[in-house]
Amino acid sequence: MSLFLNILIDGIAYGMILFMISVGLSVTMGLMRVINLAHGGFALVGGAVAHWLIIAQGLSFWLAAPLGVAAAVALAWPLERLIYRRIYGFGDLQQVLATIGLTFLMIATVNRLLGSTLLALPLPELLAQSVDLGFRTLPLHRLVVIGVGLAVIAGLWLLIDRTRFGIRLRAAVDNRATASAIGINTGLIYSATFCLGAGLAALGGILGAEMLPIEAYYPLRYMVLFLIVVAVGGMGSISGSFTAALGLGILDTATRYLVPGFGTIFFYGCIILFLALRPNGLWGRTA
Amino acid sequence: MTSRIIRLSAAATLLLSTAVAGHAETIKVGVVAPFSGPFALYGKQFQEAIEVYQAQHGTSAGEHEIEFIYKDVGGPNPDQSRALTQELLIKDQVDYLAGYVFTPNALAVAPLLDQSETPLVIFNAATSAINAQSDFYLRTSYTLWQVSAPLAEWAYEQGIREVVTTVTDYGPGIDAENAFVAAFEEAGGTILDSIRMPLSTTDFTPFIQSIREQSPDALFTFLPGGPPTFGFTKTYNENGLRDEGIMFLGTAETEESNLQAFGDAAIGLTTAYHYSADHDSDLNREFIAKNTELHPDSVTNWATIGAYDGTHVIYQMVENAGSDGPAAVESVLGMEWESPRGPLTMDPETRTVIQNVYIREVERDEESGLLVNREKGVIATVGDLGWPE
Amino acid sequence: MSDTTLTPKRTRTIAGIPFLGEAILIAVVIGAYFLFPYNLAFLTRILIMVLLVLSLDLVLGFAGIATLGQAAMYGTGAYAAGLFAVHVTGAPLPGLVVGAVAGAALAFLSGLVLMRAKGLTLIMLTIAVASICHEIANKARDVTGGADGLRGIRMEPVAGLFEFDFIGKTAYWYVFVVVFVVFLLLKRLANAPLGQSLRGIHESPERMAAIGAPVYRRLVLAYTLGGGIAGLAGALAAQVTQLVSLEVYSFNLSAEALIMLILGGTGRLYGAIIGTVIFMTVHHVAAAADPFNWLFLIGLMVLGVVFFLPKGLAHLPTALTRLVRGRT
Repeated sequence: MSLFLNILIDGIAYGMILFMISVGLSVTMGLMRVINLAHGGFALVGGAVAHWLIIAQGLSFWLAAPLGVAAAVALAWPLERLIYRRIYGFGDLQQVLATIGLTFLMIATVNRLLGSTLLALPLPELLAQSVDLGFRTLPLHRLVVIGVGLAVIAGLWLLIDRTRFGIRLRAAVDNRATASAIGINTGLIYSATFCLGAGLAALGGILGAEMLPIEAYYPLRYMVLFLIVVAVGGMGSISGSFTAALGLGILDTATRYLVPGFGTIFFYGCIILFLALRPNGLWGRTA
Repeated sequence: MTSRIIRLSAAATLLLSTAVAGHAETIKVGVVAPFSGPFALYGKQFQEAIEVYQAQHGTSAGEHEIEFIYKDVGGPNPDQSRALTQELLIKDQVDYLAGYVFTPNALAVAPLLDQSETPLVIFNAATSAINAQSDFYLRTSYTLWQVSAPLAEWAYEQGIREVVTTVTDYGPGIDAENAFVAAFEEAGGTILDSIRMPLSTTDFTPFIQSIREQSPDALFTFLPGGPPTFGFTKTYNENGLRDEGIMFLGTAETEESNLQAFGDAAIGLTTAYHYSADHDSDLNREFIAKNTELHPDSVTNWATIGAYDGTHVIYQMVENAGSDGPAAVESVLGMEWESPRGPLTMDPETRTVIQNVYIREVERDEESGLLVNREKGVIATVGDLGWPE
Repeated sequence: MSDTTLTPKRTRTIAGIPFLGEAILIAVVIGAYFLFPYNLAFLTRILIMVLLVLSLDLVLGFAGIATLGQAAMYGTGAYAAGLFAVHVTGAPLPGLVVGAVAGAALAFLSGLVLMRAKGLTLIMLTIAVASICHEIANKARDVTGGADGLRGIRMEPVAGLFEFDFIGKTAYWYVFVVVFVVFLLLKRLANAPLGQSLRGIHESPERMAAIGAPVYRRLVLAYTLGGGIAGLAGALAAQVTQLVSLEVYSFNLSAEALIMLILGGTGRLYGAIIGTVIFMTVHHVAAAADPFNWLFLIGLMVLGVVFFLPKGLAHLPTALTRLVRGRT
């Protein structure tokens, strides 16, 4: 029983991190049809800025974290306007090449400014303590991560389902041409969505730094992990990303509890099986 | 044109086989290490250590000028390692090779060493089997057996009877596990479980929880540096293992370049290793002071000391034998000297240094406010225990 | 993937002269041999990489199969040839056959599942296959040597005549001959009915299916052929380096091969060659000049090519001609 609970708790916490970082990727891939390999770069930028603010400037975590997210958004906006605008029109392969190029530049910049060692994000006292659950202790920040993850999915649901922005976004996803024909400013929608995705990536990067530590090569190291979430969840689907991230988090955790020696083979075996059976992911629309 | 190539190859073979110890010449040393990518720090530290040595001892040994040539291998990549080494030997005509962070990179050049009779001083790669592949390998770092086995014996002496080993599932991790398990069981202890964690692990909670449920006296671990080590030690701490009295036993986990990033979570971690930047000796303080003077941002750690002592060995070989490879290797076998890490002997059989292994505990230094590996005990003059008999 | 046009059957020639391309290729390889006699090992690495990128071009450029897992076949070829050399014979040519067969076999088996998928799903599946191969090689330490590498490979002279020498002359010519033969075969294939059919599938699978082409089987065939060539490249690497490490399965290798191919231009064999040579040379020079920051240069180069030469570097002459003639 406690084993089962352990798997559930650790899997969900891990899954929430994956969800926060990947959801923006899923939405931009579904909406703009752009294979954005540079997405993890926004998590890196957010984390690196937060690290710099805490370590070099002595800011508190509570201030540095939102500023890190803001920095990622501040970078995403001009990038979207100046570069991604043009990338949308490219073929798949050119998109891959262009976004890989951007990733290289982000890595090289962080590497140049902060070096290639770990960029620690020391947690504040409040989050660093452990909570006793009876059968085990759990670091408080994992509970916070789960809470923030739930808040993000709820927020996204409200945004998409209940606001004018959401209606326009959904219209643009379904059919861009029609959407702009009926007077929706799709360009603005694209920019806003892209920035939202980048901001969430940064948030996930900062909160997840305990598990996926920030360092210059972060975007390349975890690129495949984030892409798997999107592929399993289905491109463009928020609920799909959520389910996939949780499912993969739990699967990965379960293999580590149950078959530690063969975790990797088992994990990828499951991915192959799933994608072979459901090529468009859980809730994916056909590409 | 063809004749040029023939002359070149003839010259290469000739040069490599002639012993010219008599008159002054410029001796070239090729350093192969990663200077780019996620492992770039190694290359940077090697170069810094060499510069420190040059600043202290000049750029010549005996009557020979010594010149270093650096080549970037990028990461674990034996194809590239071999190609670069070939280039160094043929184009730059180096007389000595040095560096080599990863085991496959070092292993890939063994045939080249034998053919060209060029000594290679390993600054890092820690698999025992490397040196058995060619008589021209010398090693100034350590081997995994060298630090893991003494740790196991020490742990048993401290009253630790039950241990769970949990290592990353790849060559070095398994070497460390084998060494620890063999020595600990030999001493009379019990290994409750040996967990092997996938290389791609990002969340270590499952393994830590499994260990917690078996409640051993201690856990022994080996992880690749960087993010995995960070994740593992964090998780160890946060899940209350320390509070339950499960001791952390490791080796390279608390090395200095990432130590500060761990924060207070690292305090109390116990490791056995051959070098701590906190080592209490004048030689070490001078060494670190010089490094900090030349490279203000640099963090001195085991990679720095491995390269520093390796440079010393090269200087000695050059002074003794110039560019005569076999004579040079012969001349330093059994050599004893005092290094910033403590006394060293170049083992004539394994060609890995015999050195002290220190038991350290992470503490926050009161003066500097930084985390340090404070030496608590010493196991004197340990050779490479993993040497294939 | 919209840059290949379904050209009617025609022999691709440069400036209308038959075999001019091949002649230039041979001239460049001979020239490089004399110009850079000290860098033969590096040049040999470029040639092996060209072979891997050519295999990717067949799979991706011709057949339109999106993959980031070509290293799976490359690595399997490398381990197969390495193990063959350790346990059976050090004769290089049989080793090549073993490597190619191993690569093709893996591609065929995985292709049976993979070729039903497309787009991102396909990409992820190819990555998963390579990851599993990596983990198996890591686990089977007794056989492969794990992270330490497979050692003990000792090669006999090529065809019993040419000893592998210290400078790497034999290796250079040996690898070149293999690459050149594969290049000629691929060139023939491009113009053969199978090649045309693959281009057709790449353009519009629906249309090809409608006119009765066995799309799935053709894709599996193309993937298998590509896997065989990748396995061949891996086998060459194993024989030249005489050590195989886990890195042969790395994601980075697949990704770099893809970057080189897109840089040069997909769907054209010369693109694969040009892209590989330029990327590796720039990398080599930049890494030597400023290792800590070379990634900047690579990033800028990649972006520059994508924005200004979207069809790849192989398109540069055409782009320049247009610019000169003033009809952009």
